[in-house]
Amino acid sequence: MLADLSGPTSDVSTPYASGLRDGAKYINDAGLLGAAKLKFTLVDYAYNAQQALSAYKKFTSQDKILFLQGWGTQDTEALTQFVSKDKIPTISASYSAHLTDPAKAPYNFFVAADYSTQVRAALKYFKDNWKESRAPKLALIFPNVPYGLVSIPPAKEYAKELGFELVGEENVDLKAMDATAQLLRLAKLAPDFTWIGGTTQSTAVILKDAQKLALKTQFFTNIWGADENLALLAGPAAEGVISLQAAVTYGQDVPGMKVIEKLTDGKPQMTHYIRGFASMLVMAEGIKRAQAKGKLGGEEIKAALETLRDFDPMGLTPPISYFPDDHRPNMSVYLYAFKGGKLQLLAKQSLERKKEWLGK
Amino acid sequence: MQQKCGLFFCSYRAESALFPSGFQRACLAVFLLALTVTPLVMNSYYVSILCLINIAVIGAVSLNLLTGLCGQISLGHGAFFGVGAYTAGILAAKGVPFLLVLPASGAVAALAGMAFGLPSLRLKGIYLAIASLAAQLILEYVFLRWESMTGGSNGLMVMAPSILGLTFDSDLKMFYLTLVVAALTVLAVSNITRTRPGRAFVAIRDHYLSAEIVGVNLFAGKLQAFGLSSFLAGVGGCLWAHYTNFITPEQFNIGLSINYLAMIIIGGLGSVLGAVFGAVFLTILPEALNAVAGVAAQVLGGDPTASLAALKGGVFGLVLTLFLIFEPDGLAERWRMTKAYWKLYPFAH
Repeated sequence: MLADLSGPTSDVSTPYASGLRDGAKYINDAGLLGAAKLKFTLVDYAYNAQQALSAYKKFTSQDKILFLQGWGTQDTEALTQFVSKDKIPTISASYSAHLTDPAKAPYNFFVAADYSTQVRAALKYFKDNWKESRAPKLALIFPNVPYGLVSIPPAKEYAKELGFELVGEENVDLKAMDATAQLLRLAKLAPDFTWIGGTTQSTAVILKDAQKLALKTQFFTNIWGADENLALLAGPAAEGVISLQAAVTYGQDVPGMKVIEKLTDGKPQMTHYIRGFASMLVMAEGIKRAQAKGKLGGEEIKAALETLRDFDPMGLTPPISYFPDDHRPNMSVYLYAFKGGKLQLLAKQSLERKKEWLGK
Repeated sequence: MQQKCGLFFCSYRAESALFPSGFQRACLAVFLLALTVTPLVMNSYYVSILCLINIAVIGAVSLNLLTGLCGQISLGHGAFFGVGAYTAGILAAKGVPFLLVLPASGAVAALAGMAFGLPSLRLKGIYLAIASLAAQLILEYVFLRWESMTGGSNGLMVMAPSILGLTFDSDLKMFYLTLVVAALTVLAVSNITRTRPGRAFVAIRDHYLSAEIVGVNLFAGKLQAFGLSSFLAGVGGCLWAHYTNFITPEQFNIGLSINYLAMIIIGGLGSVLGAVFGAVFLTILPEALNAVAGVAAQVLGGDPTASLAALKGGVFGLVLTLFLIFEPDGLAERWRMTKAYWKLYPFAH
């Protein structure tokens, strides 16, 4: 697998990689693949496309991999053409919607709803629970980077469709130390809901500045925008913030948690770890189905994954389905709210699998 | 210039020859032959590293022309590289043949480089570095926001290049293509250093006032350096785009610019050979660190990757600092010293 253990996304890649590693251990120990065992090779590519490329070449020419567990935008997108050409099924944690369209990325998969679906689901939840007669006001805060921008067009489009009033857009850099200027402008517009499309660090900066300015709005963040670390970074400012996630949190009562608790000796892990673990279970299911058909190659594993229908990775994520013409794993998102510094499940919101949203 | 014992030049032309002795030419021929033949027996991992080295050589040599030779610090080289990559992607998608795409990528990057090089007449040193940083940020913004051309955050797909019906769709084929372009780049920049404009670049670097007094047009000289350097960076970007088949704005961020700067510092500022050494060194360094992690995992029986990974960033910084302290003239100077040692061996004094 590719992981960023020393680069800019190492804070979230490290727990994700641990989830993958423990997932592989569980698959081997439990004999999920029969006599076959997973051989797990990890390379730290430091979130650098060039290093990802050479690591991939090492995997394919020396390690002769059958399956790749990737990580972020840098490696996943740089390798999209290669994995397709070499027929290496890939599960990554880069959830850009365009990777769900098999016409463009036939060998790419992931186990969380894409960024666009995540924000659409949250908007749907807010609109369904909106009690006032006026249109709810929405503001968007995002960094000017590919990851930040990718959810903005679908968010705007769907917000308009649902009847939100878009009142403001602000850019806050991922490494920002201050967001006062942006929040002062937003404060005048009094948004009811404010989307944060950054990472945990930038969200913490925004929240602390918003608290200073007494900005009253319902903040909601995408999957990398808030996790268990937010309460440590932002303190009481994190209270009430909604984090969109695609996996359960540590300790939740699902069958897979018993396994994880045993593997981790009861030491709490981040939700990214649990998603990593679940992605290994999905991968194992693909391999298992390909094994049952008799031939084990990249093409066969891809085809096997595309037969998954509501596959349940031990309750760790919403059920997963892939279709030959649609690699969206599901249309469901968990909304967690920070209460007393902990992530507490608020709702699970599902959307209809609309054809026109595929890849967008 | 230190040369082989027994060489006696009767003309300036002979003295400034790139390879004045038969021995040097023979060594080069053997080296090129080995470089051409060995990839045939390598697996695609090693060949891909050689491809990345070739592309890095083009980037580093081009930056060395601007910074090492002409003294114009640039923190925007990664973005000029990106301009070439995007130009290549856009033109290739329109069906323009690769042999036209390659120089066109360089030409567009040269235009961008010259545009951002305009402030260089007024700005020097750290001020120019900041101006070039602005170029980096502006171009990154353009890559990200000009969606209709660049694909924005979704990136741009680039097909494998094709020359006269031969498609370069494997690592081995791309290696030969990148090798030819890298060799031509090295040769071109080596020759530029021997020409009038090349000497003017050095004069500008060493003392701009003296250069102006002896008749060097500072503005034209600096602009030429920006243009030539960006042209070559654009060519490198074109090869990168065609090699990876997919480009996104993040690939051409400030980290790439700093990496190229580190390559020429480690290799040796102002030396073409140094830039090549720096490119080779910094491309191999992360691979070597990963290999060490792999060996350690086997020997120790655990998985020390995570702890070693944390050291990688530190090792990179440490290497750079140690080079600046102990080898300020870079690997090129160490190479020269090594050659000098063997020339005099065993009578060092």
